[in-house]
Order: sequence, then structure tokens, then C-alpha cells
Amino acid sequence: MSAQSWAVTTSKYGLEAGTPEIKSLGPLTFGPDGILFVSDNLGATIFAIAVLDAEEANGQSEINVEDLDTRLAAYLGCSRDDVFIRDMAVHPSSADVYLSVMRGSGEAAIPVLIKVGTDGTLSDVPLDNVPFSQTSIEDAPAEDDDRVEVRLVQGDREGEVMERGDDRFRIARDQLRTVTVTDMAYVEGVLLVAGASNEEFSSTFRRIPFPFNGNTIANSLEIFHVSHGKYETASPIRTFVPYGSNTSVLASYTCTPIVHFSLGDLKSGVQAKGKTVAELGSRNTPLDMVSYISDGEEYLLVSNARHPLMKIACQDLDRQGPLTQPDEPVGAPRQELPHKGVGRMANLNGSHVLMMQEDDGGNIHLRSYEIATL
Amino acid sequence: MGGLTAEMLSRRLVVLPNELVQSGVDLSSIQPVAGRFEVNQDAVCFVPRFPFRDGLSYSLIVNPVNDTRPVENPAVWTIQQPAREGAPTTEVVAIYPSGGELPVNQLKFYAHFSSPMSEGWAARAVQVRRADNDEQLDGVFLEMEPELWDRERRRLTLLLDPGRIKRGLAPNAEAGYPLIEGVPVILTIAPEFQDAVGRPLLASVERRYEIGPPARVRVDSADWRYHFPTAGSTDRLTVEFGRPLDHALLEHCLWIHDATGKELPGRGFIGAGERRWRFEPMSPWKESRYRVIVDTRLEDLAGNSLIRVFDRDLTRAEDAPANGRYVAIEFTCESTGSPTTRRSQM
Repeated sequence: MSAQSWAVTTSKYGLEAGTPEIKSLGPLTFGPDGILFVSDNLGATIFAIAVLDAEEANGQSEINVEDLDTRLAAYLGCSRDDVFIRDMAVHPSSADVYLSVMRGSGEAAIPVLIKVGTDGTLSDVPLDNVPFSQTSIEDAPAEDDDRVEVRLVQGDREGEVMERGDDRFRIARDQLRTVTVTDMAYVEGVLLVAGASNEEFSSTFRRIPFPFNGNTIANSLEIFHVSHGKYETASPIRTFVPYGSNTSVLASYTCTPIVHFSLGDLKSGVQAKGKTVAELGSRNTPLDMVSYISDGEEYLLVSNARHPLMKIACQDLDRQGPLTQPDEPVGAPRQELPHKGVGRMANLNGSHVLMMQEDDGGNIHLRSYEIATL
Repeated sequence: MGGLTAEMLSRRLVVLPNELVQSGVDLSSIQPVAGRFEVNQDAVCFVPRFPFRDGLSYSLIVNPVNDTRPVENPAVWTIQQPAREGAPTTEVVAIYPSGGELPVNQLKFYAHFSSPMSEGWAARAVQVRRADNDEQLDGVFLEMEPELWDRERRRLTLLLDPGRIKRGLAPNAEAGYPLIEGVPVILTIAPEFQDAVGRPLLASVERRYEIGPPARVRVDSADWRYHFPTAGSTDRLTVEFGRPLDHALLEHCLWIHDATGKELPGRGFIGAGERRWRFEPMSPWKESRYRVIVDTRLEDLAGNSLIRVFDRDLTRAEDAPANGRYVAIEFTCESTGSPTTRRSQM
């Protein structure tokens, strides 16, 4: 990014130069003009950071890094067990790969934003004095709710003393309720954020206008799905992907059905009911989704914790009616692909799908697959 | 240093984790530990980009393999970063639900720890086994990455696999509920669960539960029993729920408004087994109108709230979702006699 376009981007999106105080790194996604959205679940914040990267494509159509986790362990100076790759995103213009990585856990945990060069060279993205803005992912309290959440504590190590008559008791003001971001996508001025509460189970899906306007949460949306025309439940969306020129969203719940939404419903409503288009079976968790176009047709890949990588044609999703019978095992037709151990995925230049693959020995590799071969 | 610059040194010296050097990987293809070399008179110093890890050994390789000439036996010096010492001090202070029986469609457990914890241990250290034959139950919990913690990393939320709990979904049809009605279970938290400084727990903790029939009706405040206080006293107001409710939500889904609609200062107490809530005011109750306010997000152990059954059977009209953010139960404190009550949606 040139100095001039950097200045334009900064002012257009309300960014200010500084050092974002990132406590942890989770899901990543790119927004407009090379702005990288970074979720920090520990800090309950989403950062928008202008990543200083090339405006021109790097010229490489693919990137392959064998033993990515070992290389990260060497670079970060730690054991392989201490490398936690949280997410992956591809810069829209330079096509460089960005990884959100945590080195270690607990007090010793260090969040590191890694850029993977086309030749596999690792570098940590400097976050000092970068243009950025941020927004909270805390639930804003309801306007009519002026309570302060407190709990009684014993001992004198924490909290503050309250007195009532002769009674003295010690209270702590905790932030026990948290929302953990599980996936993000940017669509036309809105950052869509899927997350799970650590208390109530019902689903909220957040829509945060960008540039961030200072409101902690713009609005959120309740999400339902119906199983077999018989049972309706509300459940958190775990991972999702916009497709169909941003008209549709394919989402998967923590309870595994794959559900179609119209993006219009997600962007304007207060409640949305998804159409269950596929079920993935027991003891399986969908890990990531990616869309790509091959021969003019759009396809989606869904990676799974226990099931093989699945390929679904978007036109089949559009044709698929809601699943209504309990003995309907599959829903939309899908093809199982032979790629083993696929976790995170990303579309690379429209020509390849980038996959993070774990082999039987637990080694993680970054591999590019030409779309025509999928 | 004979005129060597840091740049020249950095081409001839490499730092790598020792375990990587020992593993036999092709070192010429591996990027070394991020950092820079500094020359200070006769000394050379390596400043790592990220702090060295406690307890890990690092190797300094001289005449490194990324030199263009092949190197048969580079000189290797190994330095050990000392491990942090310290006996375990962290313990499990509570597990919720605290009652002895769970519905077979139980949705969540909460584990409270005395100190902040490390992430990434829940799947390894928390297990459920049958109490009758000690057989471990697999696939009970939803594998969440990231795990669900409070901000302090002292309370862990464990979700039982909702796909196996919800009727009509393939996981439920194929594998059944995570728990088995009539088969008692023991929840175990093993000491390997590391706290935030990497120490294990003081001891393992176990909790036994009987497993009862599924709970699948909305929580209804009209079914609760209320014991209202008399004016002039600081007696506790008591609400009995008739079934156990979710501990975390109970901490902030119930409170009292005074006649002007302001929150009444006081303390809330969650009763044993999460079956009861008590409120003690800071100042004596007045001869006045009050309201118990209930946030309708309040759930029971199976995720049924005041407005919604967890997995609603669309053919059951009585399970239709209700509206409203809050329910208010109005009562009037009087010096003598029974208080009057009225319930309303907000």
C-alpha cells in the first residue's frame, strides 16, 4: 500500500495510527481495501487493522508449506505443542497468507499475527503504530437495565468492601458472561460475526457496521432452524460463508446441521429462520467453509472434524427444499473429496483453494489445490 | 570480534529449539528463532523476538547450515531456559449443577477454579464415566475451539453435544443422548488441567449425578412459589423454582425493583441445588409495592428458558415461544397479613 493510499484508507474508515492492544488472536477476515479484521476473544474486541501489504498480486498462483507447525515452532522459539493456529486469511490484493497464532497458553500466551510469504518465509506482522480501529464484542446492557453484576467473595484478596449497618461484606464485579467469536465475514459495509455465549445457549449473530461507529454492538439477530419440519431450535452458528454474489449464506451450527440463509434476512431482520439443507451425522463438527467458482458454477467446501471434506454445488443448495423427514439422511447432494485432515481453508486468487491439512503424525501442512482438480 | 558485524554474524549463527535440532529435521529448510544478533565489543548477544520459553532448551548453531557450503558437523551449544518452580495451588472450587440429579438432556456444566486457567485442557482433563461399571462415556461434550471461559479464565462452560440432545437431528438418532436415563455418572476433572502459570491442580475432583427423564417444558414463573417478606423487616424474599435452574444465569437474571422502578440494593443468594433464590435488601422493606424482575433468558438445566423450549415440537401449541424480555411479579409489602401479588410481561 502506498503512503498516499494508506492515508486515504485511514481517513475513509476512521482508522487512527497506534498500537492495538491485542490480548489473544482468533478468527480473521479481510474487509475493504486490505483491512484485516482480527477478533480478540480474551479482550472481547474486534480490531480493524490496515495491513501494509502490496496492492499488486504477488504473482504466485499457489503457496505450499510443508510442516507449517514445525516451522512456526522454530520461528517462535517454542515446542510444536505450543503453536496454536487459530485462523487463516488471504490478503485480497497481494494474495499473501495471514495466520492468527497463539504461542503457548495461560499467562505465557503470546498472540502473533504471521504473514506467510509465497516462498514459505514466515514473518510476524508488526503492530506498532499501525492504522486501526476497534469495537467491543461485549453485550451492551439493555437500556432499561442499570444493574451492576456483583458476587460475594471471601477473604480480602479481591473485590471491594460494602457496608450495611454493622455488616461488612466484600463483593467483586465480574464479567462472567462472555461471547466467543467463532467466525467472521465482511459483506458490503457490515462485519458479520458468529459467536457463542458461555451462558445462555440461544443464538445471536451480530452485524457490526464498518467503519465502526462507536456503538459497542450495532444489532444482533436470533437464529433458528427447523429439523424435519417438526422441531425448532435456536443454536449458535459456528462457521459460515457468504456465496451467490453475497445473496446467500451457508452456515453450520454447533449441533451440525448445515443451513441456508438469505443474506438479506441476516442483514435486516431481528429473527431469521434458516433452511436446513444438509446434516452431517453424529460426533462431527464442521470446521470451516469456503466458496469458489469453477466453470462458471459456484461450489462450497465444508471441512469436518471427523467426516471427509465435502463439496456441494450452490445450485443444488438453492434447489434443495428444507429437510422434512427424519429418514432423509443427506439433504443436498454432496461429494466427498479425498483430502485428509483439512481444517482451515481459504480461496487463493480464485484459482486455488488453500487448505491447512493435518497428517496422521499430527503435522500441519499448508497446501494449495487448483480449483479445476477439486 | 575481529570486525564482524551483526549482519555477518546472523548469517553464521542460528538459534533453534533444541528439540527440533534433535528431531533430525532438515535444518537447512527451517527458519531459525526470530530475533537479532548484537555485537558488543568481544561479546555477541542474541535478542529473541519472542521471550524464550521456560523449561525449553535452545541450540546455538555455529557455521550454520544455511551457508552455501555443505556443513557436516556444525558446532552446537545448548542453553536451558530454567523451568518455573512451584507447587500446585489451584483447585476446583465449584461444579454446577450442584444438585444430585440431571435430566437426560442436560445441556451444560460449569467448573469454577480458584485461579485463572490455561486454555486447551478441557477436552483432555474433563471426563464423564458410568458410575455402575466405570466405563467412560465418549463424545459427551461438544468440542469447542476456542473453549468457553469467563473473562478471568476462572469459570469454564462445558456444553454437552447439542446435536445429540436435540430430537430430530442425525447425531441424536445415531448416537442417542450423551447421558443415559437411569445410569448414574461421575464427572471428573483431572489434576492435569493446567492453571495459567502451567501448574497442575491440587487434586482431582469428582461429582456424581443420577440421570432422570428429559426436561422439555418452558420455565414458568407462574409455577414458582414465593415467600414475601413483611414491611419493616430485612427478611429475605424467597423464590422456589420447583426444578433446578442454570447457575450462571441465576446470578444475573433475577432482581427486585422498588415502586419507582429502580433496582433495590441488596444481595441475591442462589440456594442449594439451584432450586431457590433469596434476596436480602440493604434496608428494611417498606410498606410499598415491589416487583421481582425475571430476565426471560433464564434457563433450566436442559436449556429451556421462560420464552422457549430448547427443541420445540412444532405440533405442541403449548410450547409456542412466548415474547417479552422480562417477566415482573408484583407484590406489596405490608406490616401484617399476606402480601398481594400480580404477574406481568414486560
